[in-house]
Amino acid sequence: MNEIVLECRDVGHWFGSNRVLNEINLQVAAGQIVALVGPSGCGKSTLLRAILGTHPPKQGDILANGRKVTRPNRDVGIVYQNYSLYDFLTARDNVAFGLMLDETSLLTRCLKPFEYRKLRNVHREKAMAYLEKVGLAKAAHLFPAEMSGGMRQRVAIAQALIMEPQILLLDEPFGALDEATREELQLMLLRLYQENREAKQAGVKPPYTILIVTHELNEAIYVSDRVLGLSQYHEGGEQGATIVYDKAAPVFHPGDARNFEEFERQKDELRNAVFDPEQNQHHAEYVAFWQNLK
Amino acid sequence: MLVGQPIPLTQRILLGATCILLLIGAYTIWSETLSYRKREEVANKLPPLKSELQTIEAQLASNPDDSDLVQAKQDLQDRISRVERDVLAAKDRRVPTWKTLYTDGLLRVTEGQGLKKNEYWLWEDSKATASRLISGMLAGVVLSLGLGILMGAYSPIEAFFLPTLSFLAKIPPTAMLVVFFILVGVGEDMYVTMIVFGMLPTLAIAVFQSAKKDVPESLIYKAYTLGGSDAELIWNVIFKQILPRMIDAVRLQLGPAMVLLVAAEWMVAGEGFGYRLRLFYQRTDMSVPYLYLMILGVAGLTMDYMLIFFRRYLCPWFGE
Repeated sequence: MNEIVLECRDVGHWFGSNRVLNEINLQVAAGQIVALVGPSGCGKSTLLRAILGTHPPKQGDILANGRKVTRPNRDVGIVYQNYSLYDFLTARDNVAFGLMLDETSLLTRCLKPFEYRKLRNVHREKAMAYLEKVGLAKAAHLFPAEMSGGMRQRVAIAQALIMEPQILLLDEPFGALDEATREELQLMLLRLYQENREAKQAGVKPPYTILIVTHELNEAIYVSDRVLGLSQYHEGGEQGATIVYDKAAPVFHPGDARNFEEFERQKDELRNAVFDPEQNQHHAEYVAFWQNLK
Repeated sequence: MLVGQPIPLTQRILLGATCILLLIGAYTIWSETLSYRKREEVANKLPPLKSELQTIEAQLASNPDDSDLVQAKQDLQDRISRVERDVLAAKDRRVPTWKTLYTDGLLRVTEGQGLKKNEYWLWEDSKATASRLISGMLAGVVLSLGLGILMGAYSPIEAFFLPTLSFLAKIPPTAMLVVFFILVGVGEDMYVTMIVFGMLPTLAIAVFQSAKKDVPESLIYKAYTLGGSDAELIWNVIFKQILPRMIDAVRLQLGPAMVLLVAAEWMVAGEGFGYRLRLFYQRTDMSVPYLYLMILGVAGLTMDYMLIFFRRYLCPWFGE
């Protein structure tokens, strides 16, 4: 049932003599929403860029859907913190952009303009469906410059989701948003997870696998079903950061109360295992996601 | 009034119109004053002639049959009427009045000239200059945009071309004219070559810098995750993203291209605006040059605004 869509095998990375990542071993199964937390400067971004394929690791392999990642490709989607969208496209066309790039090529668009036009209408309809999913159907005709930060981030998420990537990376996606917008978008992630569960119950592959990097522990525990801690504070710390925490997180339903007090026990555990510079003991007891599953 | 405080549109138009009217008024006063002085200068010849005429008339009164005196009077009267005609016709050619600009400028360039009255200067000059400018600009823009974008997209291409282009961009294009005259000759090809190479270094560098600076790498990486190919990245991401900035860069190159063209025409052409300007400069007659300068200004403004509208139409997302 647990189809592995992302795997890191002994991944290490360094800049000159500065070792950043060391012996990162990680498996993410389809349908998981994984939150990645860690102290600042621990290499979260380095790991993310390695998974994305823009800066492959100097050691070890990263496999997305069983294929080695050597450059950014359509198996791994990305949403950046600064909601990078294509300024020259409307919200709808931004979402449809990936379908156009993926399903047609420059040559076919030039040689068969009429077929492309038909296909483009199909793409646009599908894009509208995704915009509706993120609650932005009314803003379909707006350019990014005319949208607020929260709207742009939703478009960026729809733009990535429409490609149905094997795994979607969210790089501190809600960091620059106001509280209310952030909560709405967190709810949106919970609704996606809901769809995953329904798919699982129906016995099909869950559609959304997400790795979300965040510095907000509440958010990490709330939106995810699994929390990863990446930290340089462990016994081999001078060799670079590694995964020091890997446990399941409580699953919330979109309608549930946002009772963050329930999180305190897990937050304490995270602070102790991931964020405490004095913590140099063996971390194996915290990396227990797969054992616990069995 | 605060620094940076905007003003209403009516006020803006009023102020702009005032400046133009002041310019026109100052020119009118200047040209009329000069032409008045010129008339005075000619008219000053009249009083001595007239007193001479009075003397002759006095002599004629005493012996009316002296045929020499009659002849002298006739000659003097002819001279006086000639000078009177000259007074009316006197004009200053360095700062011609509006009337002179019309009669000696506009009428001359729009009516048939030459022995067979079949040379229409304005039409011939515009045709020559415009075709040189347009073909040169088109070729130059296409080459520069292509090179600039490729340099922005691929670092090896950048590394190969950038040092040379930076060096060439620092040589004044007008100084390079000598190279084009010698290597390409002085035919029509020369003008196109000259404009292309005159604008290429600067424009290609401007486009390259825009492709580097105005396309964040996150947009590039994201396009790969959306299944884009390298060609699609160049066309659908980089080109589309920097299109408005490229159009603005081309607008900035309009001025230098026209400078270069008029300078080259001044030196070697047999027709065109630069050629006609030189011709009238040699005659110290400014009635045609001033008219041509106005036409050049209006043409430049028109092209500039066409490019602005083009940008607004193609890139509605870019704003003003």
